[in-house]
Amino acid sequence: MVAIRVENLTKYFRKGKNVIKAVDHVTFRVSDGVAFGILGPSGHGKTTFLRLIAGLEVPTDGYIYFDDELVSAPNRVVVEPERRNVAMVFQNWALYPNMTVYDNIAFPLKMAKMSKHEIDKRVREIAEELELTHVLNHYPKELSGGQQQRTALARALVKNPKVLLLDEPFSNLDAALRDSARALVRRIQRERKLTTIIVSHDPADIFSIADIAGVIIDGKFAQVGNPSDIYSKPATTIIAALSGDVNLMSAKVIEENAVIANLKIPLPVSEKEVGDEAIVGIRPDEMKLLIEMAQGIQGFVNVGKVKVKVSSYSLGVFRVVISPVTDESIELVVVSDEPIQPGTEAYLYVRKDRIKVFAKDGRLIA
Amino acid sequence: MNSRYVIKAIKYALLQLVVAIFIIMWLAPLYAMLIGGFKTNMAAASTPIFMPPSQISTEAYYFDWFGFGTLIGLEYPMMRQLLITVPVALTSVILGSMGAYYFYVEMERRPWVSNFGFSIISLAAFLPAQTLTIPIIKLTSSLGIYQTYWGLAFAYFVFYLPMSALLMSMFLPVVPKYLLESARLDGARDWATFWHVVFPIVLPGFLSTLIFVFLMVWQDFFIPLIIATKPSLYMLPVAARQYVGGYAILYNRSFAAGVITSAIPLVIFAFLGRYFIRGLAALGGGAKGV
Repeated sequence: MVAIRVENLTKYFRKGKNVIKAVDHVTFRVSDGVAFGILGPSGHGKTTFLRLIAGLEVPTDGYIYFDDELVSAPNRVVVEPERRNVAMVFQNWALYPNMTVYDNIAFPLKMAKMSKHEIDKRVREIAEELELTHVLNHYPKELSGGQQQRTALARALVKNPKVLLLDEPFSNLDAALRDSARALVRRIQRERKLTTIIVSHDPADIFSIADIAGVIIDGKFAQVGNPSDIYSKPATTIIAALSGDVNLMSAKVIEENAVIANLKIPLPVSEKEVGDEAIVGIRPDEMKLLIEMAQGIQGFVNVGKVKVKVSSYSLGVFRVVISPVTDESIELVVVSDEPIQPGTEAYLYVRKDRIKVFAKDGRLIA
Repeated sequence: MNSRYVIKAIKYALLQLVVAIFIIMWLAPLYAMLIGGFKTNMAAASTPIFMPPSQISTEAYYFDWFGFGTLIGLEYPMMRQLLITVPVALTSVILGSMGAYYFYVEMERRPWVSNFGFSIISLAAFLPAQTLTIPIIKLTSSLGIYQTYWGLAFAYFVFYLPMSALLMSMFLPVVPKYLLESARLDGARDWATFWHVVFPIVLPGFLSTLIFVFLMVWQDFFIPLIIATKPSLYMLPVAARQYVGGYAILYNRSFAAGVITSAIPLVIFAFLGRYFIRGLAALGGGAKGV
């Protein structure tokens, strides 16, 4: 249970003549007990950042503090990873293949030279909490993906760490398992009030677990805030795309509407602010399709007629690809309660308060 | 029968023939050695080498083992050989594994140290022992261990430690880096990480290297030749050469000595050979298949 403070943290990698700025002068803090999520595309510094906090990488510049204790300084690891009391769950879980589940979980306690009796007690406690009691004698290769992940988690938690670091912890799991795995991590984090940093390219992981989220692009935090704020008010089109599915459409701005083929989307800003071209962003779940025009739905506005191209099913919802009736080359994705036949014409309703307007360069205007 | 089948059959027959020739070439000396040991001295000198003895005589083995006149028996050299070779091979490969672990881990932090060390041990492993004759003798003398078991062990280590480290370096990359990092975060320092995480994973490679180093130390002729020159200290390979002299060669005794010397390696290879081959195959396949 510790507050992490990072000042001007920088990590450069040198590959021949190229310098890769993995983490670029980052400053922020994670308060005690908070779950912080880091979202970002692969290769932009998420994992490097995590490894710097763990002490597995040496900062090129900048300082890292745990509470007020300096743990990393420029070109120096002040407190070794072995002594930071940090637990990390790697993407591939890093379970020791030659040890049973029991020994894997007990390993950190054994290194801490705890008594056999105490080790046994703690291991069995956490095994019961994570439903691993019946596989304690098995080897990692005999376990299912979910069991392996829970073993990695158990091993991380058994030593009562001050900080929990998770590096894409769910990417090796089946989609069906991910929800229960996320719920488990969230419950554990809340119950123990454990300062946690979770890194992922999947926004669902961040939304389910993090209190605060930051989006890393090119080694810098492009946006930091509440996950739902990032979802509904992304600072750029890139962030909008990273934080979930989104339809981004180039539009001409005429008076106070964005015009895309035959669709007219009312904008919350005036033409003066935007210019005559803009990018409009709306997420699939922020729109509805209605076959017949309705009187008026609270909060939604009818933007025009569209034709259904494809209807598919994924993860519990129907995803419908539509096009404006006057321009088949433009495609949008909408979420629907029921499948709609391709070729059907329908009216597209959009949530008024979720219309995102970006300038041509991708910055959010409203 | 179509011609394709005939060609296949001929190819197969040719292959079998070539293999048979190779097998005969390899087994011929072994066969000669085996039957030669059972001939009397007269018979060995006068009969053709591949002709089996008309009467099986065990005089060669008897006199080899217990000694005759000024020729010492092989009983004690054999025991000495076992006494020295096993610990030396074991220690060498364990220390070599630790060295390989160090090179592996140091590549992250200070690659030049790792590369430099690696180059040095490569050089040391392939340096012919003959070039270091005088330095080794002088060094063991001044340390006071010349003509002792410790001196022998020391000399063996000089050459076989680098080789062990080199061989084990091939097997170490099987251990994924993230496992070592995980161990660090679990509070394990290098010693604990090596024994609990690294060693169990490289065990197959370890056994392979152990067999190899054991065999190399066992048959090493030069080091015992220069260090253990007193007959009371003779090691097996040196003692086995007693039967070749300036004026005469006792063929039957020589052959019997050859059999005695190679008995143990042959047994080891018969039982553990498959692990050795597996290790070599893994080496060729990048040590990931072990």
